[in-house]
Amino acid sequence: MAKSKTDSLQGSLDLLVLKILSRRPRLHGYAIMAAIADISAEVLRAEEGSLYPALYRMEEAGWIRAEWIKKENNRRARIYELTAAGKKQLGAEESRWAAISTAINRVLKEA
Amino acid sequence: MSLWSRIGNVFRGDKVNREIQEEFEAHMEEAIAAGRDPQEARRAFGSLMQQRETSHTIRVAAWFENFLQDTAYGIRSMLRSKALTAVALLSLALGIGANTAIFTLLDAVLLRELPVKEPRKLVMLGGEQWLGISDAYAITALYSYPFYREFQKQNSVFSDTAAIFSLTNYVHGFIGSETSSVPMKVQLVSGTYFSTLGVEATMGRTLTNADDNSEGNHPVAVISDAWWKRALGNKPAVLGHTLKLGNTVFTIVGIAPEEFFGTSVGEAPDIWVPLSMIQSVPPHYRGYTENFSESLWIIGRMKPGVTQEQARANADVLFRQILLSFTDRKPTQRELVDLNNTHMRLTPMATGISYLRRQFSQPLKLLMGIVALVLLIACTNIANLLLARATARARELAVRQALGARRGRIIRQLLTESLILALAGGALGIAFAMGASRLLLRMVSDGPETVPLHVGLNATVLLFTLAITITTALLFGTIPAFRATRLQLTETLKEGRGMVKGGTRNLLARTMVVLQVALSLMLVVGAGLFLRSLINLTNVDTGFNRENVLRMEIDESSVGYKEDEHRLMALLREIEDKVSTLPGVRAVSFSSFVFHEGSWNGWVTVPGMPVSYDVNVKHNMIGSGYFAAMQIPLVAGRLFGPQDTANAPHVAVISEHMAKTLFPAGLPIGKSYRMGGANSPLVQVVGIVKDVKFDTLDEGPETLDYVPYTQHPQYLGDFSVRYTGNFQGVADAVQKTIHSIDRRLPIIDVTTLDEQVARSVTDQRVVAQLSIFFGLLAVFLSCIGIYGLMSYIVSQRTNEIGIRMALGAPQSNVRWLVLREIAIMVFIGIAIGVPATLAGGQLVSHMLFGLKDKDPLSIALAVCVLLVVGLIAGYFPARRASRVDPMVALRYE
Repeated sequence: MAKSKTDSLQGSLDLLVLKILSRRPRLHGYAIMAAIADISAEVLRAEEGSLYPALYRMEEAGWIRAEWIKKENNRRARIYELTAAGKKQLGAEESRWAAISTAINRVLKEA
Repeated sequence: MSLWSRIGNVFRGDKVNREIQEEFEAHMEEAIAAGRDPQEARRAFGSLMQQRETSHTIRVAAWFENFLQDTAYGIRSMLRSKALTAVALLSLALGIGANTAIFTLLDAVLLRELPVKEPRKLVMLGGEQWLGISDAYAITALYSYPFYREFQKQNSVFSDTAAIFSLTNYVHGFIGSETSSVPMKVQLVSGTYFSTLGVEATMGRTLTNADDNSEGNHPVAVISDAWWKRALGNKPAVLGHTLKLGNTVFTIVGIAPEEFFGTSVGEAPDIWVPLSMIQSVPPHYRGYTENFSESLWIIGRMKPGVTQEQARANADVLFRQILLSFTDRKPTQRELVDLNNTHMRLTPMATGISYLRRQFSQPLKLLMGIVALVLLIACTNIANLLLARATARARELAVRQALGARRGRIIRQLLTESLILALAGGALGIAFAMGASRLLLRMVSDGPETVPLHVGLNATVLLFTLAITITTALLFGTIPAFRATRLQLTETLKEGRGMVKGGTRNLLARTMVVLQVALSLMLVVGAGLFLRSLINLTNVDTGFNRENVLRMEIDESSVGYKEDEHRLMALLREIEDKVSTLPGVRAVSFSSFVFHEGSWNGWVTVPGMPVSYDVNVKHNMIGSGYFAAMQIPLVAGRLFGPQDTANAPHVAVISEHMAKTLFPAGLPIGKSYRMGGANSPLVQVVGIVKDVKFDTLDEGPETLDYVPYTQHPQYLGDFSVRYTGNFQGVADAVQKTIHSIDRRLPIIDVTTLDEQVARSVTDQRVVAQLSIFFGLLAVFLSCIGIYGLMSYIVSQRTNEIGIRMALGAPQSNVRWLVLREIAIMVFIGIAIGVPATLAGGQLVSHMLFGLKDKDPLSIALAVCVLLVVGLIAGYFPARRASRVDPMVALRYE
């Protein structure tokens, strides 16, 4: 699947989702969304409209794996966890982010 | 994602959607439980629909979905402009249909391989295909049966060899104990025929070598599937049934496979009989044991690993060896030289043997070219219509682009629309072609019977049609699609239908109309050339009077008459005598040939003159009334009379050309010559008649001689009657009279001499008719093109015209404004078309009779047609323009 990087937010959304899944495996979509909001102290909000497409995209790319589980109220929930490829991708995304933020910080300081 | 799972996802779409839905529902539950306002949460999702679509696009084969979407959209938008769609579909159906129809025939005649085992391993001895019986020495086109047997024994390159009698026997035989005869096409073949081809019987057995190992005692027959169904009503228990051919009863031993039509394309025998029975099958040919009665084609299946060149070399050596081993004929010095100079050639047999191919391949290729041009014109037409429509849709497309549709996406959509249009046109075209190819087959059949060719749909034809359909879609769809999407968005959105910007605006469309005119001109000139050529041919003086002659064929051989019996001569005489007394009958005669029926020919020996081996004299056995029936004038001497009996001195009447060519100066009357070599009959010239056409209308003067059948007894099929009054009345009376003499005599092909002559130019007529048809179609399509473009331009310029008229321009001025544009396009088209036509004319010059390809009359005529038709097509838009009400026009926007 082609990885379109039309906006940089999407790139960072991938990073956040991968990171969260690496720390807390087997989350469903809402939980991922809540986690992003929680940890960032409500600064970052992933809209459903971006989150789910991102999840499906990453699933297709093989970075994450989805699974249906039974909930106690007899409904099903779809939970996600990181794959080996996803771990690799997380590494790549992290170093990319680090490089970019370092670069931006340098510009902010020295410009 | 693999292509496979993409496609899979399309079909799993529903399940995927349900799962997404379920996941969203779960998500909403959590969100609401966490205290979010349900309304707000739902909004945050955006439209659930849209959400799903986005997810879906990610999952499934986007291209396929889009294609379906584009298809639906395309069909909707085509239905919106019904007139345009109808015109486009009609031109496509005609264009693609015509191409498919011609290709179907081309495929059947030229391309299709025989339905036998490994047809590419089959070759035929000799480089050319003759039909007939020859006694010439050292020819490679025909072979004798003993030669075939020797060759079969001695060669080391073929795993199987078979012989095929080059003539088809047209027999009137009897099924079982029935008393009325039915026509049967009998093919004599060696016993190895079916095994060499690798063809097995679907019922019973095929012929075997054992059926062909001694002459006269193997009355077995294999019948074709088609004949089994047609003549025997598909009877399942047909094996063991009998057929009576001549005086011999044959037993049906097997049925050939349905797809098997023999080895000659366009022949399709009904019955195969072993060559050992050659003398039993009417008209009772001989030669089973004669070393120099050459009448067979020999085919072989090359052994694995043997190349065609190796096979040829071996056959070449054997050819000489076998001929020299036949010691019953001592070759002359000249024949030995011939033998030395003759080299064996092999002809691939994969597509079979075919005289049809020789006859039709050129006309078919020409017609293929013509219909391709017509399709091209149709394409430019549709391109123009689409271009005009795309301009009308410019705003729609601009809005879509402004809303974020990528250009590629819109191009793809427009191309999909074109493809749908083309596919619909192609489907209609196939339906049209199925009828047309049958009609075409009937048109090219020059006898009473339609050529037995399978011209139905098959994989090759469908593939061809699909290919041209897609090509057309690309041809007419690409330019409009790219043009339509190359927009200055803001310009287009702002613009109404206001001012015309510059003269180059419709340049592309105008170019296409010019192209159409040029192409149409070529086709119309072609039609003119072929028509004039056909007229020239029909006006050729045949030398005989083709009017008011009834002719028919009578098959004496099928009902027991023997060639060397007195009974046959008595029958012919009785028929001539009785028919000539009928009212309305002026003269009657049997003959072996009339016109365009092949020939019996060979060189002759005139004592005291060197033999001209390359002058082929065509012999005709005739009754004494022949010259009167045909109205061939006598130049000198006398015609045949009652004195020329079997026992009287043998006489001949010769053509003027023969008198000039073969005899020393002075009247040849009284001189004698031999109809062949030293042992052939000696005849004395008693008369000279005017030259006549014998085989074709475009032949030069022929060396012909006529001898009375009383002195050369044989089967004579042709019966000609010069009559006055009503054709049908005379025809009925003649047949009744013949049947009163022998009611079993089969009479076939009752027609006029005029028709017989007309049949000889069937190819030319078909080419002329079809080129006229397609020429007119091309002009008609160009008219639509001109009309469409000019209507469009006028509607575009309504505003401008309104202003002109408001400022006082008279109607005629406005009309001229429009007509001038048309005239310019037509003139440019003609200016391009004429040189193109002159250049292309060389390709057909050899197919023309009595005129050159640079025929000023045809070109002038075509130019006039296009001018007149172009102006008529443009007149209506021009008139509409001139009737524009200035006030309305100015308020138009």
